[in-house]
Amino acid sequence: MDVSMICVGAIAGAYGVKGEVRLKSYTSTAEDIANYAPLVTEDGQSYDLVLTGRIKNGLTARLSGIVTKEQADTAKGTKLYVPRDRLPETDDDEYYYQDLIGLTVKDTGGTELGKVHAVLNHGAGDLLEVRGPNLKSGALIPFTQEIVPTVDIENGIIITDPPEGLL
Amino acid sequence: MARSVWKGPFVDAYVLKKAEAARESGRNEVIKIWSRRSTILPQFVGLTFGVYNGQKHVPVQITEDMIGQKFGEYSPTRTYYGHGADKKAKRK
Repeated sequence: MDVSMICVGAIAGAYGVKGEVRLKSYTSTAEDIANYAPLVTEDGQSYDLVLTGRIKNGLTARLSGIVTKEQADTAKGTKLYVPRDRLPETDDDEYYYQDLIGLTVKDTGGTELGKVHAVLNHGAGDLLEVRGPNLKSGALIPFTQEIVPTVDIENGIIITDPPEGLL
Repeated sequence: MARSVWKGPFVDAYVLKKAEAARESGRNEVIKIWSRRSTILPQFVGLTFGVYNGQKHVPVQITEDMIGQKFGEYSPTRTYYGHGADKKAKRK
């Protein structure tokens, strides 16, 4: 799968007997998945999407090309992707998690610390999980102006000025 | 049952000591603590604590809206990465 494709959901199985599907949405607001249609599968098949309701742990929807329960059963587990360029532009100092993951993290002296493995948020602001050869179990760096003064997506570099005791 | 008001909020004494020392020094440092049970007090606002989750110290920058919560609430002991999808991080 192309790296510029972003997984926004998956088909969890059939819903009812009239060709509806249960849908898992990974977007920040579950219903937003409909705004990114048409969605593409790993094998290149494209689906238009109409949401039909909400259920426990997901949504129900109709996908173009899936009209029977058997087709919906077959599609179970299929991941749904959208091209990165279909996501809306972000504000200043706002970045998609997908854009930050994989960037090289350097300190202010130019020494490489590692790469961003994940972006986490436990309620006290966003944290970059950086993994590198010199970081035992990965370091967590708060994503703030003070600690991360430079984010250069084009060159794939993040400059960090970690406070004492962070790494 | 809720904690009696007359007792005041619970904070481990060493957390208070460390926070006071950090504030006096004025240095920008992460205060490593193991006390997940301590209450976040108004005098901690602006400081950064490294709250232990059993594996590592998770950095927690204290803001006003965290007052009255416990440190442990911001340092989960289990990691779930989930999917990035269209989630955004804002640099504050």
